[in-house]
Amino acid sequence: MSAWLGFKRPLFLAFVLGCTVSFLTARTLTLRLVVPEMVSWAFVPLIEIAVLAAVCRRDCRNIPFAELIDSFFGGYRPWLLWMTGICAIWSLLSPASKPLDWTLSIVWMLGGVVFAVVWSLFIDFRFFRAVLQRSPAVAARELAMHRFISWTLILAVIGGPTIWSDITGRLW
Amino acid sequence: MVKTLRVVAGCLLFTSIVLGSISDTPRQNPHLMLGGYQVLAADFHIHSFPLSWGVLSPWDTVVEARRQGLDAIAMTPHNHTWVAKVGQRFSTWSGGPIVLAGEEIHSIGYHMLAIGVRNSIPWRQPAGSAIDEIHRQNGVAIAAHPIRSYSAYDAEAMRKLDAAEVVHPLGLRNEALASQLRDFYEHAHVTAIGDTDYHLGPLAPHVGEMGLCRTYVFVRERTGMDILDALRKGRTLVYDREHTYGDPAMIQLAAEDGRLPKLAWTGREHHFSTLLSGSLGVLGLLLCSFLFGRTAGVTAHRL
Repeated sequence: MSAWLGFKRPLFLAFVLGCTVSFLTARTLTLRLVVPEMVSWAFVPLIEIAVLAAVCRRDCRNIPFAELIDSFFGGYRPWLLWMTGICAIWSLLSPASKPLDWTLSIVWMLGGVVFAVVWSLFIDFRFFRAVLQRSPAVAARELAMHRFISWTLILAVIGGPTIWSDITGRLW
Repeated sequence: MVKTLRVVAGCLLFTSIVLGSISDTPRQNPHLMLGGYQVLAADFHIHSFPLSWGVLSPWDTVVEARRQGLDAIAMTPHNHTWVAKVGQRFSTWSGGPIVLAGEEIHSIGYHMLAIGVRNSIPWRQPAGSAIDEIHRQNGVAIAAHPIRSYSAYDAEAMRKLDAAEVVHPLGLRNEALASQLRDFYEHAHVTAIGDTDYHLGPLAPHVGEMGLCRTYVFVRERTGMDILDALRKGRTLVYDREHTYGDPAMIQLAAEDGRLPKLAWTGREHHFSTLLSGSLGVLGLLLCSFLFGRTAGVTAHRL
């Protein structure tokens, strides 16, 4: 039961990632995309869990790690809503052919991501304060560390060589 | 109440997936023969997950290419080739479209497609020497979306180039960029290419659906070698909404026959079942997203 508690939210996040890829590709949910892309994108929750384990390693003695995972992944709601918005735009509108729909999609992609970042920061800060009983300064530091490590790894997997050539190319 | 909502969300998602899977039919791709050549639909600029800002895994890229009615694709990860080789092997194993392994050289000032190469080509070099390296590996060099900000090709590089993207989603949305692509193509006198630059799916600002822009390649045999040969010899046709680019003899052949111009802009039709399935899926995901934030057990008390 405890293991399932730590498993279900990361699994659901992977499922939503698979669904988003399916919507972006086929404008709907199709089994041939949802399942394999869920597996491909499972690296996102796996990295988040690994970095959470590293940042909160002292707390695992007091709180079962499955509960920590479950509680931490509760902070993914803003991202799920953002991805659902992307799915809705691509499923119900025609951004590829209608300028207004395209503008709406860009506004949601960029504006929505800012909203999701800020909201999820707030939720995760509360996680570090309330669940892990950190002081505000320590909560902010650990949250920043978690975000920096996990997002760097995730971005490296998604577009590492491009980011590297963009950064080093400008210094070269 | 929450339990009931979870069941409703699950049913919506299940129904959406079943409907979506049933209505997920491939685009028509009739086999065309013109002037003794087989005409293949190809997209030579496709990025996969991981490492290239793509979303689809290499194997799903191959499956999607087949669904979009493409006979051949070039997988062009940024500054490496191994993801393309994975896709190529999967396609050979699964009987998919012809997959040419390659890469997009993501350099400063220019982006270039190296199609049919075995090894990665260093990106820290001028365009001219990168083209030499592509040719040493018997590959084909294509200028990728050579609008002004990506066109650091000197006279020597222009002379060595094999092909250039003249139709690209950038130009479909913006006439100024379309004009820059045309100018480069006319100035370079190279093989005409139409590519999608498939990255993050159709919602990303600069890209489109896989195969949205495509190149029709005239080959004697359906092999990767023959496609590369056709690219070197300029046996391609590319359509945008108002223009046709490519070998004048091929343009005439296609115009006389009449089928290819019609086929080029026949888009995928979205059925009612796709729309219904999508709507149910979005509702299901929305409901799940709202329920997702609810916590249980010890952490609920603390939060």
